[in-house]
Amino acid sequence: MGIAEQYTENTPDSRYEQTVGYLRRNYRAYLLIAPAALFLLSVVGYPIFETFRLSLYRAPESATTETFIGFQHYTTILNSQIFYQLVWQTGRWVVVSVFLKTTLGLLIALHLKGDIKGRKFFRTGFLIPWGIPYAISAVVFRWMEHPQYGYINAILLKLGVIEQGIGILGNPQTAWLGVVVADAWIGTPFMAIIILAGLQSIPDQLYEAAAVDGAEKWHQFRYVTLPQLKSVLLIATLLSTIWTFVSFDVIWTMTGGGPINSTATLVIWIFETAFAQGNLGLGAAYSVIGFAILGVFAVVYLRVYTSGGEEL
Amino acid sequence: MTMAGHDRSGLRKVRIYGVLIALLGIMMFPFYTMFTSTIKPSQEMFNSPATLFPQNPTFEAYFQVWTQTDVLLWIGNSFLISLGTVALTLLLAIPAGYSCARNDFVGKRTFLLAVLVVQMFAPVVLIVGLFDVIVQLNFYNTYFAVIIPAAAFTLPFNVWMLYGYFKTIPIELEESARIDGASQFQILTKIVLPLTKPALVASITYTFLYAWNRLLFVLTFLTDSSKYNVPRGVFSMVGALQTDWRMMLTVSVIGIIPLLILFAFLEEYIVSGMTAGAVKE
Repeated sequence: MGIAEQYTENTPDSRYEQTVGYLRRNYRAYLLIAPAALFLLSVVGYPIFETFRLSLYRAPESATTETFIGFQHYTTILNSQIFYQLVWQTGRWVVVSVFLKTTLGLLIALHLKGDIKGRKFFRTGFLIPWGIPYAISAVVFRWMEHPQYGYINAILLKLGVIEQGIGILGNPQTAWLGVVVADAWIGTPFMAIIILAGLQSIPDQLYEAAAVDGAEKWHQFRYVTLPQLKSVLLIATLLSTIWTFVSFDVIWTMTGGGPINSTATLVIWIFETAFAQGNLGLGAAYSVIGFAILGVFAVVYLRVYTSGGEEL
Repeated sequence: MTMAGHDRSGLRKVRIYGVLIALLGIMMFPFYTMFTSTIKPSQEMFNSPATLFPQNPTFEAYFQVWTQTDVLLWIGNSFLISLGTVALTLLLAIPAGYSCARNDFVGKRTFLLAVLVVQMFAPVVLIVGLFDVIVQLNFYNTYFAVIIPAAAFTLPFNVWMLYGYFKTIPIELEESARIDGASQFQILTKIVLPLTKPALVASITYTFLYAWNRLLFVLTFLTDSSKYNVPRGVFSMVGALQTDWRMMLTVSVIGIIPLLILFAFLEEYIVSGMTAGAVKE
């Protein structure tokens, strides 16, 4: 190839032609993903941009005018006491709820693993709490925890644990526990099903080999089950952490974030600020903080997800 | 096997079923309280402490609920919203999943990862920005205001689910159909989609449940009470001063019946949908 030809090969013109040629060969592929891509760009991508923009404005829900105020909302947030209270309450909410879900889910999965008669019956039963509206579960838990008519109080009274009905949800010290229990109940089925699937993909030979070596049940669990289950457990707890962090319906239905904000988490506060108080700009600023936290989770999740050499 | 071994495995079985039944009992307890409360006469329901077993069971609440609440309307709206979301999601996800499974193109990896990230972007952190979009599009207080966000957040799962499944269908099937003169569209609808049935059922069930169960979008984007879905309807019965617990719990029981039927028939698909992605073969 001569120098002159090489030169023309690299002119913008021929690169343009190459691109056109590529598109001409592949336009169908792009045409098919275009509707989904455009839809997500406008319904998810644009609102992300819009949230960032709004967070720099004073924007009351009722008014049509927005005033640019720069980072004022962010300084307001960082200087407010409620923000640090929310960080602590959100952290406590996520850690306790995910811990309960994982432990209960693991317990259920380990017992469903073997040669169980009626596995379909049990599996369906354990699955149902996950599949019904969270608002309905929340209402039922609210009823169960009712200080006068609730079943939990009735049981505790019968057992002699308490002498008179207690209002779990009405007390700022205990309300978060009453809500966490409901959220854990809803999230346990997912953990159980995922862990069960993980358990069933562990080759039997590993257990046989361990049995030949004389490994006790506990040792089998410690040295075969847990290591084999590691990646599934990691993905499941990560997803569960994300979902618990953004869980809205349960808290909003049970307590609305009260009493005196004791059950409010960051996402509850986004809604409270933006829609209950009608301050869209400040709500948007809280959302951006939510993005940042979710962003960290998302990066970790993608790392874990693609680390197994998953082909895209 | 020795006698001792027999006894041990028998004991093990007893222990396993014992634990399973106890765990299932704990998980079912809220349903027990829900249902038994609704079959108590109203004065018994407000006994303190509660009677754990209804003394005088009656179904009177179930007759009252039709006249005192809008339960049928809410169920109808839930169906409408769920079916609309399913239709929109599939319309977008099938072509996208198919394209990614069959073609190698610049930007495919970016697209698929971006979709995965959307799944992480929970609706509630986006709700303020979404509110602006819904208002600007003039969808506020219409069914679209609920269907569109629901479709956006179920689309990622659907794209990945279908993409994964389309990849497993041998391309030879499509090539031979093409030789027989079938068009692209015919190949998709007559050959590929029928083979994709398990993934489609899982997708549809997941999307249907998601849209049926969501309170947030209806709470934020619908003010017209005649458009409420089941969760929003139940929530609307939570009063600031007084709550009609009896009617609310009865509506709740009725509102989950369609879901229980769905579960009984489609459990297998629901499980395969839940585990897709999380567990690698």
